[in-house]
Amino acid sequence: MLKQIYIDRDVLTAARERISMIFDDFENIIVSISGGKDSTTLAHLALTEAHKRNRRIGIFFLDEEVVYDSTIKQIEYVMSLYPENTIPLWFQIEFHLTNATSLTEGQLICWEAGKHKIWMRPKKPFAIQHKPWSKEKETIRDKNKGFGFYDALENFQNSKHNTAFLIGLRATESPNRWRAVSKNPGHKDWYWTTKLKNGNIAAYPLYDWNFHDVWRYIYDNKLRYSKIYDYMWRKGMSFQEIRVSSLIHEKSFKALVELPEFEPKTYDRLLRRINGISIGHIYGKDNKAMRARKLPKNFKNWMEYRDFLLKTYPDETKKWIFEKRFAKQLNNNYVARQQCRQLILNDYENNLPIDNQPDPREEKIKKWRELL
Amino acid sequence: MNVILVPIDQVMANNYNPNNVPRNNMILLERSILDNGFCFPIVTIYDEEIDKYIIVDGFHRYTILKDWLQAKEIPIVVLKHDIKKRMAATVQFNRARGVHQVELMSDLVQTLVEQGATDEEIAQHLGMELEEVYRLKQITGIAELFKNQPYSKSWIMMDVKEEDIHDE
Repeated sequence: MLKQIYIDRDVLTAARERISMIFDDFENIIVSISGGKDSTTLAHLALTEAHKRNRRIGIFFLDEEVVYDSTIKQIEYVMSLYPENTIPLWFQIEFHLTNATSLTEGQLICWEAGKHKIWMRPKKPFAIQHKPWSKEKETIRDKNKGFGFYDALENFQNSKHNTAFLIGLRATESPNRWRAVSKNPGHKDWYWTTKLKNGNIAAYPLYDWNFHDVWRYIYDNKLRYSKIYDYMWRKGMSFQEIRVSSLIHEKSFKALVELPEFEPKTYDRLLRRINGISIGHIYGKDNKAMRARKLPKNFKNWMEYRDFLLKTYPDETKKWIFEKRFAKQLNNNYVARQQCRQLILNDYENNLPIDNQPDPREEKIKKWRELL
Repeated sequence: MNVILVPIDQVMANNYNPNNVPRNNMILLERSILDNGFCFPIVTIYDEEIDKYIIVDGFHRYTILKDWLQAKEIPIVVLKHDIKKRMAATVQFNRARGVHQVELMSDLVQTLVEQGATDEEIAQHLGMELEEVYRLKQITGIAELFKNQPYSKSWIMMDVKEEDIHDE
């Protein structure tokens, strides 16, 4: 069985060794960055090594268009750290994003052609503005959803050969993903890598870092980082909560609530760009509107509320997806409440899966009844 | 616009206002009235059936004046709105407001510090917890807080046979 064993090195020394080994074994190296602290640290470590060896590596950013300005500034900064060792791979191509904030526009197509007048910002002259793979070869995971973020990543990776993709994943940050990736080594006995197509691998050199290691590295190397971290910290968030996320998918309501206080100009542009944003800002922390915490008082139970939400669901083309999904699930208050949440958040993609269980409250009541 | 002074008992709340002010902001509102005076009259309509002025906007200031400061009179403005317009006005007054940018809020706190204000004074007058004042005062940023943190110990995943695991 796999066990976690501590070794006699600190995480910085170990990460440098891992990166050096990748440089030894792979001609082509591409670091994925998001503008967050982890990928900034990883990119800096990899670029330092590239500089030492006088080599060039790709710095890849998949631009979702609807992101903080601070994120964009951060990407520009990372790509300018070692220009002579950097191959900029800034992708500004069309793809679908889930828009959880609007019932009428369930998806936003970022960089949509013809909408350039309301894009959040103009495209970068040096960016990759068209898909560099052929339409025939393009793969899509789910035809219903259309070509999305992960499809863009996958097709990009499959367009390369014998390449190591470096990703700033940390085990403490997402234990589930770490468990999934550490099962089978992707190269030699490096269990911190996974196999991809065409002789490519994904590598996670920072897997054993904690958040304070990342901050310490950023401090020691006087690196810049996204201002959003400081804003969040000043707003009283804990270190665990602080993260720079997308602005419109189902887990980002919090980000919308804070946005006018962080980047008022970005918020104004977002209002122009998308329906439903202002709703997300006003009710993002309110428990009724976006979360289905409390049953509205005109409904007897969650089942009744769910039926009402389904009946009045504004997007006829998506309604059947919910109907089909719910038909397979139990009909009780516990499940119905989660179904309400999906309907309210417009989650036809099932991003927040439903725990299909008998109602724990009813089970308890039944037990007591038997006792009494 | 005419501001008139009326007995505070002749003014009453409406039954539809969805706005709720958390307690810390009520304390700040009282502070504001004590520091700056009662600068804005309460917006009302007159209901002749009961001979009362019903509040359209200013319920929380009215509460402070009446219950916290035990005032006898209150300055009001009287509108001629039907119920539809009144409800809309209440929401307009509540919602057409800005938010404070964190960045500028920080600058403001820095300036107060430079002017010689103590943390406690700032907390009291801006209606903040001390913790919030500390955080806004911090100009160095988050990374600075970790400068003395030693790096963690590295670990690896190892395939171990069950029988090789002894008590350590």
